[in-house]
Amino acid sequence: MTQHVVSVLMSGIFHASILFLVSAGLQVVFGVQKIFNLACGSFYALGAYVGVSAVQAYAAAGGPPAFFIVPLVLGGLLIGIVGVVVERGLLRFVYDRDETFQLLLTFALVLMLEDAIRLTWGTSPLSTGGMYLVYGQVRILGAAVPVYNLIVIAASLAIAVGIGALLTRTAFGRIIRAAAGNREMAEALGVDLRRLYAVVFTLGTALGTIGGALVIPATAAMSEMGIELIVEAFAVVVIGGLGSMRGAFVGALVVGVLRAVAISVYPELEMLLIYLIVIAVLVLRPRGLFGAAATAT
Amino acid sequence: MRASRRDFLTGIGAAAVAAAGAPAIVSAQARKGVPSDPVKLGVLAIRAGIAAPVGTAGLRGTEWWADRVNNGGGILGRKVQLVVEEESNPKDTVERYRKLVLQEKVDVVLGGISTGVTLALGTVAEDLATPWLSWDGTTQKGVEETMPNPKWAFKSVDNEVEAIVAGMLTPKYFKGIKTVAGIGNDYSYGHDCWQSYQAVLKRYIPDVKFVLELFPKLGVTDFTSHIAAIQQSKADLLMCSFWSGDATIIMKQAAAVGLFRTMKGVFTTAGGVHDSLKKDFTPEGLLLGYNTMYFDDPKGSPLLKQFVREYKAKYNEYPPYECDHAYFNAESYKAAVEKAYTSAQEWPSKAQVVKALEGIEVESLSGRRGWREDHVQMCNFYQGLTTHKNAYDFATINPIEVVSTKQAMKPAGAKLFDWINSWKI
Repeated sequence: MTQHVVSVLMSGIFHASILFLVSAGLQVVFGVQKIFNLACGSFYALGAYVGVSAVQAYAAAGGPPAFFIVPLVLGGLLIGIVGVVVERGLLRFVYDRDETFQLLLTFALVLMLEDAIRLTWGTSPLSTGGMYLVYGQVRILGAAVPVYNLIVIAASLAIAVGIGALLTRTAFGRIIRAAAGNREMAEALGVDLRRLYAVVFTLGTALGTIGGALVIPATAAMSEMGIELIVEAFAVVVIGGLGSMRGAFVGALVVGVLRAVAISVYPELEMLLIYLIVIAVLVLRPRGLFGAAATAT
Repeated sequence: MRASRRDFLTGIGAAAVAAAGAPAIVSAQARKGVPSDPVKLGVLAIRAGIAAPVGTAGLRGTEWWADRVNNGGGILGRKVQLVVEEESNPKDTVERYRKLVLQEKVDVVLGGISTGVTLALGTVAEDLATPWLSWDGTTQKGVEETMPNPKWAFKSVDNEVEAIVAGMLTPKYFKGIKTVAGIGNDYSYGHDCWQSYQAVLKRYIPDVKFVLELFPKLGVTDFTSHIAAIQQSKADLLMCSFWSGDATIIMKQAAAVGLFRTMKGVFTTAGGVHDSLKKDFTPEGLLLGYNTMYFDDPKGSPLLKQFVREYKAKYNEYPPYECDHAYFNAESYKAAVEKAYTSAQEWPSKAQVVKALEGIEVESLSGRRGWREDHVQMCNFYQGLTTHKNAYDFATINPIEVVSTKQAMKPAGAKLFDWINSWKI
């Protein structure tokens, strides 16, 4: 029994850690730029494909399998740079427009990125082969847990702590919080919003791409993989509260673990249970669990 | 290159030439009563989304066939021209089908994979009075036929045949199975395969218990929670009908927790993504289905071997079964036109082609395949136990079981479960 509980919890937390990274990307962008970035799932897919390519190139060059995580993480982080291009090239034109335009633009990005991925990498699912199994598995209270899953969970936690520290303990974090709280006042006090927006959007993008890169050894890259995740990320931000990092963290844990428990106990409820919680939160606490708080908290 | 292929074909004797569809001996001259312009064949292929690799494989098979036929002089001396449209959702695909027939004026439409789409295409094909040969789609609703007597629609093998074949082979290869868990995609194919598999297995092992069923959505890429539930079920065997990237993913995630160290596994359809099932994470001894074509069949025809060789050289992949469905459709059309021509002595009408198609048998990549009189494909299914003893970096099967649709597909007009329950075992 304990063994089963551990298996279910660990699988739920693994899912939650990826979900957190994508949702965090969504939150940081919404917190500062007030744009609901539907393309966060596409950045996740992009990171996955770049991660596969990086690992394949690394393996082809004869790199030792045990260190495949290095090119994987580097690839995932570097492709985050696409955030600058999207922000400077597209998003900056719609900041003053109606929210509908912003949603349409990011939705267009979803479609374009899916096609771009298909043109670049083809239609067949891509995977990193057996790299996932390189680190083996450990037994936790009798349950076999892949070591790679633990690495992903640890990486996600480290990123959560890092972002927390960035927002609360650095001058840059204060600027982000100031801009999130009052855009005009921040600008009046000398904050370069153009630069800030570019940096924040790139940060949000990189969170998605690193999530995609980290998950890929455990799964396979498919061009529409982002769509699936966007839907779950919605649930996360509604539960956690739009714009809140802590909300993304707790929301991801709630969604990830509940999904795992539902699959194990009553599989028909898998998605329903999550949306029941979403509805309950919307009715009882419409701003989400941490919605009243600002980005930084 | 072409010349050497012809030399090769003529060199291996008449039987092999016949087996290869005999492109080299068709005259390049147009016959009496045959128009000189190319014959237009409409092709519907899925190019986006989860089934895009399947659609792409079908298209590649058709293109290879067309090149081969054109190099051999065409059909009765008429060159073949493919007009390719996309299969997407039912509504848009129906529009494209109409466009192919009404605007492009194609003589036949080939293709169709998703049963959700082909269920709609069936009635349109009847309306437009043009033969439609479906690669992989049926007009079934669940496991039952909705168009028992079509005039123009020619349909693929029944969706659930591979699950039935797997159900027949399970007791042969896995002794003492008492409990079974199942996982499939949450749509018709997944549910139908699971029900058919259960019905067949119950006939062989009456006291078998089905302890868990999981139906994740199509497109899910994380099955770690599902695997935790499967482990907990402590079933003797897992039956899985995944057919796309999800088959690879669940295999890998199962390997990470050692699922198949204790549990047997049946993957009815994962042969569709066979070359992604790397040895690193695909254990030996699983029952794996390749649908209607096994690329590495040692008994395969020279045609199959040539196709696999050229496909690998061109796309750096090993071909999946959809190539064979597509090749068969196109080749059967060609054979029907040639057959009808012998009596009509002119390019046959669409109705004459349909008549000639009924009951026809031709040589396809996987061997002889035909159309049943009620317009359903007849062919062989290839399944076997996974092995690592091969020259590839992915698992293949050995021994190879070949089961005909004559054994594993419900006869025309029969109800599936009544038919299974009527078997004498």
